[in-house]
Amino acid sequence: MALIHLTIVTPEGKFYEDDAQRVMVRTTGGDVAILPQHIDYAAALGAGEARVTEADGSVRLAEVDGGLIHVASDQVQVITNRFKWKAHQA
Amino acid sequence: MAGASMKDIKLRIRSVESTMQITKAMQLVASSKLRGARARMEASRPYMKVSRRAVWDIASHNTGAQSHYVVPREIKHRCYIVIAGDRGLAGSYNANMFKRIEWDSRDANCCVIPIGRKAREYYARKNVPIITEVEKVEGLSLDACCDIAQKVIDSYDAGEYDEIVLAYTSFVSVLTQKTKLKPLLPLDAHDAPEHTSKQMLCEPDADTLLKGFLPQYLGGLIYAAACDSFASEQAARRVAMDSATKNAGEMIEDLTLRYNRARQSSITQELTEIVAGAEH
Repeated sequence: MALIHLTIVTPEGKFYEDDAQRVMVRTTGGDVAILPQHIDYAAALGAGEARVTEADGSVRLAEVDGGLIHVASDQVQVITNRFKWKAHQA
Repeated sequence: MAGASMKDIKLRIRSVESTMQITKAMQLVASSKLRGARARMEASRPYMKVSRRAVWDIASHNTGAQSHYVVPREIKHRCYIVIAGDRGLAGSYNANMFKRIEWDSRDANCCVIPIGRKAREYYARKNVPIITEVEKVEGLSLDACCDIAQKVIDSYDAGEYDEIVLAYTSFVSVLTQKTKLKPLLPLDAHDAPEHTSKQMLCEPDADTLLKGFLPQYLGGLIYAAACDSFASEQAARRVAMDSATKNAGEMIEDLTLRYNRARQSSITQELTEIVAGAEH
C-alpha cells in the first residue's frame, strides 16, 4: 500500500518523522485529509486537532495551532510553532 | 629585604589561586550549560531545513508578480538583528560579532535590534539607532522571536528598511564558532532549492499564505539562531576559562619556585652571617 512520508516539526524539535497512511489537519478553510498521491499542496493551518494514521493503522491525535502544511510528491510536512500530542489515543 | 619579598610573593600566590578558583567555576558552569544548549540547538535544526523548502515552494509559486519578499531592493537602509552574549569573559565571542557587523555595514545606513546584554550595551555606547531590544539570549522564547519577526516584517513592508540581516554565531565545534550574517528579507536566494514544485495548490492563495507564515518562519529562524549563538557563547567561554585556569596554574608554579628561591637565599644569608660572627 502506498504511504506518505510525514514530518512534523516545530523550532523546538521534531515530533514525528515516519511513514503514515494519512494525516488530517484543520486548515483555515476547513479540515483536510492528505492521502498518498496527493497533488502538491500548501495550506495555512488554524487551531485544531491533527489526526495521524500511522503505517500500522493506529491513530494518534494532537493539538496544533497555526503554521503550515506542505505536500510535495508524497512528502508531507506539518510546520508549526505549537504542537502537542494528546495523552489519550483513540 | 628577603623577608618582605617572600611575603609579597606569598600574597600574589594567594590572589592568583582565588582567581583560578573563579575561572575554574566559570568553566564548569559553561560546560554544563553547553550541554543543554547543544541539545536545544540540535532540536531546532530540522525545522530550518523543512520550513525553508516549504517557504520557497510557496514564494516561487506566484510566477506572475513576484512577491516583494523575494525581489531584492537597492540597499539604503539595513536592519541588523544582532545576537551576542549576555556576559563577557567568553574570549573574542562578542568582539568578533561586532567587528564583523561594523565591516559589513559600512556601505549603508543601519540600525540594530540587539539581542543579549552585551550587544545592547555596545550599540547604546556607539549611538547606533536601536529599534527594539531583548535583554537575554538565555531562555529566549519562541514567542518573543515571533514578535521581533512581526516587527521587522511590518517595517519592511512599510519600506523603512531594504534588507533585514540576522547576525549570529554558528556552533561548529567546541573549539570553533563562526560569525554568520544571514539575510532574512528579502528571502535569502542561497536557500532556494534547485527543484521547486511547479504545480502546487495553495489555500487560500500563495500571497496570503506567505504573508501569514512569514512571521512564524522568521521567528523560527531567529529562535534557531539564538540557540546556535547561545551554544557558541558557552563553548567560547568554556575554552577561554579553560586556558585562563591553565595560565593561572602555570603562574602559581612559577611564583612558588620564586618563593622557594627567596626562602633559600634568606636562609643562606643568615647562615653566612652566623658563620662570619663565629669566626671573629
